[in-house]
Amino acid sequence: MYRSFLSWRYLVSRPTNLIGICGILVGVGALILILSIMTGFLEESRRTVRGTLSDVIVNPLQGESANGRTISAHPGELLTALRADERVAAATAQLAWAGVITQRDDPEMFQRILADQNNSQLLGAQIVGIDVRGLERLAQPAFAALARSMGGFWPAQPIQDELDASAFLYSLQGDEPGEPWTVAAPNPLFPFASLKSAGSARPKAGVLIGEQLFNQLRMRVGQELELGTVVWDPARDDWQMNNRKFVITGTFRTRDNETDNGRIYLDRRELADFLGQSRRYTQVLVSLKDYERDGARFTLDMRKELAERGLIAAGEDHFGGRQEVRTWEEFRGNLLGAIENERVLMGIMLSLVLVVAGFTIFAILSMMVTEKRRDVGILSALGATPRGIQQLFLMIAFWDALVGGVLGAVIGTWGALEIDAIERWLSRTFGVQIFDRKVYLFDHIPSVVQPLWVGTIVLGAFVCALLFAAIPAWRAARLDPLEALRYE
Amino acid sequence: MEPRSRTSPRSSPPAPAEVVLAARGITKSYEIGERRLEILHGVDLELHAGELLALVGSSGAGKSTLLHCLGLLDRPDRGTVELLGVSGWDVPLVERARVRNAQVGFVFQFYHLLPELTALENVLLPAMIGESRLTFTGKKKEHRERGAALLERFGLAERMTHRPSQLSGGERQRVAMARALYLDPPLLLADEPTGNLDSATGAAVLELLLEEQRRRRLSMILVTHDEKIAQKCERVVSMKDGRIVGGG
Repeated sequence: MYRSFLSWRYLVSRPTNLIGICGILVGVGALILILSIMTGFLEESRRTVRGTLSDVIVNPLQGESANGRTISAHPGELLTALRADERVAAATAQLAWAGVITQRDDPEMFQRILADQNNSQLLGAQIVGIDVRGLERLAQPAFAALARSMGGFWPAQPIQDELDASAFLYSLQGDEPGEPWTVAAPNPLFPFASLKSAGSARPKAGVLIGEQLFNQLRMRVGQELELGTVVWDPARDDWQMNNRKFVITGTFRTRDNETDNGRIYLDRRELADFLGQSRRYTQVLVSLKDYERDGARFTLDMRKELAERGLIAAGEDHFGGRQEVRTWEEFRGNLLGAIENERVLMGIMLSLVLVVAGFTIFAILSMMVTEKRRDVGILSALGATPRGIQQLFLMIAFWDALVGGVLGAVIGTWGALEIDAIERWLSRTFGVQIFDRKVYLFDHIPSVVQPLWVGTIVLGAFVCALLFAAIPAWRAARLDPLEALRYE
Repeated sequence: MEPRSRTSPRSSPPAPAEVVLAARGITKSYEIGERRLEILHGVDLELHAGELLALVGSSGAGKSTLLHCLGLLDRPDRGTVELLGVSGWDVPLVERARVRNAQVGFVFQFYHLLPELTALENVLLPAMIGESRLTFTGKKKEHRERGAALLERFGLAERMTHRPSQLSGGERQRVAMARALYLDPPLLLADEPTGNLDSATGAAVLELLLEEQRRRRLSMILVTHDEKIAQKCERVVSMKDGRIVGGG
């Protein structure tokens, strides 16, 4: 009984104990706050980094020999093999190629591009050809209505593309319903349909352009955009420069800086044509029914199965030893790994605050044991055991951790949940922008409070406090009661 | 009570009473630097139930050291201390602490109250130490009433919630006495209880202590070097150079 009673009395009667409590409070609060923000950043970044990537990406080394046959330049067989797996929800081919914005007919813009020394990457663009089967999708309800009118039934046919047109466009919009992010919303069913192609024998193909790029180049919908690239010409056995004009039909925003500033989408067939049919696809995107459950297993299975069937080269490819079949997380492993590393590092650094708090408790308790030598003697004379005295001093650290840990958890959790309001208040009060929303492309500071983390941090505070209190408590227990009684 | 000679035992020994405390062959030495200082040289002592014994001697005679050995606070180099038939230094540490808590009451010269606790809390401290949280909490009201009654008897009814720093020397010693008597131990060891008080206060405190001893039929050893105080005791044991030289 006396241990808890007396330890609490010692705690409240000594203002120096507040230092230990404050140390624990700051450590726990800061750890919860920062880890919640870092977790929020990680989750938000995972969404952003993933962008338009599907669950699994298959990058066959076209033209290479695999299991006695040459890997095909057509995606058909690979798509059929992937779609046959019951874990696959959809699969589609994609053609991605590097290009540059040339715009030779618009000298003013071309000069602007060339003169932009700080942003020379503006010249470069990733041109991505995708399949958006608007016509097929449009035809589905029409066929169903026709079948119904004839007394029949037209079952919905799965179109095994990765995404249908509206889903694809939605994915480009991110998840901010009601946010007017698009400069020019494209036609959801026919996003690449050219609005006009005046004065041209062949209608120009439409392209969707990243919103940042669109704004920086001060473009407008319907404007022509000239793209250039190089393709391999087997006839001349040399690289050949190709240029073509397209029409901007709309913009998109993924909230990924790199994508929004340098990607252009168009129909895959148009891009293959632009590349002189030298390439028809570069990768196949696969969407799984349950990625969380099947992603890793499916990837391993496909590496084996597709290699056995000669659809991909067995083993590792030429690019940094990576596999041809990868999950989106492996695809963006470096970036996600960097954020995760940052979170771990932050955790380690802030844990040092707890260690400092632990040292403070150690110092305060050591001082207290010296001060309370006489009390230790009195307690011994009244029948306290050395173990009881040890527990008495350990309990002071326990109270430190309990009060500091609980207050820290409450304040840290509140701070993490209200971080946006706090940031706005701080920015308003001190006139300094703390969180630049343009830099991160988030309109809020992401924060995710994980109760397990909160519990672990508070538990860590207890362990730290008790560990550091163990030595002074042990010292108190070893005091000779008589010497302690003589201590005046 | 008839004052007794410090060198002669009772003229007519009382009827054989239960031996509360029996010390045999107690020796104790301390190492001071490279030298070993012998403090007690084979001390034998018996204390009967309800007996009041004065332990006298000059400074350095070994009175306090003997008291601490008898009170199971300081382990003798050799010899045994039996308290109500239990060899105090041969039982495990936890049992020894329990015996100290329940069977021995200490009153020190410098009161030794815990400064963070009120007078009443100081009095209840032995019960807090001896009882589990559940038992103490269950009997909290009873404890408070008993503690308050004891303090009231000692003239401290108005001082129960005061901290030691708010009490006078005499009041502090009365709180210390109440603490020592709270669990009604059979043995009370008092080490110069009035040594830190002025004569008037000291006399009042001593009177209170002796009255309690008589009322409770306590076995008590009173360490003092005050002749007048020793004369108030039933038996006076005199010590010199770590040996009992009279009254043992």
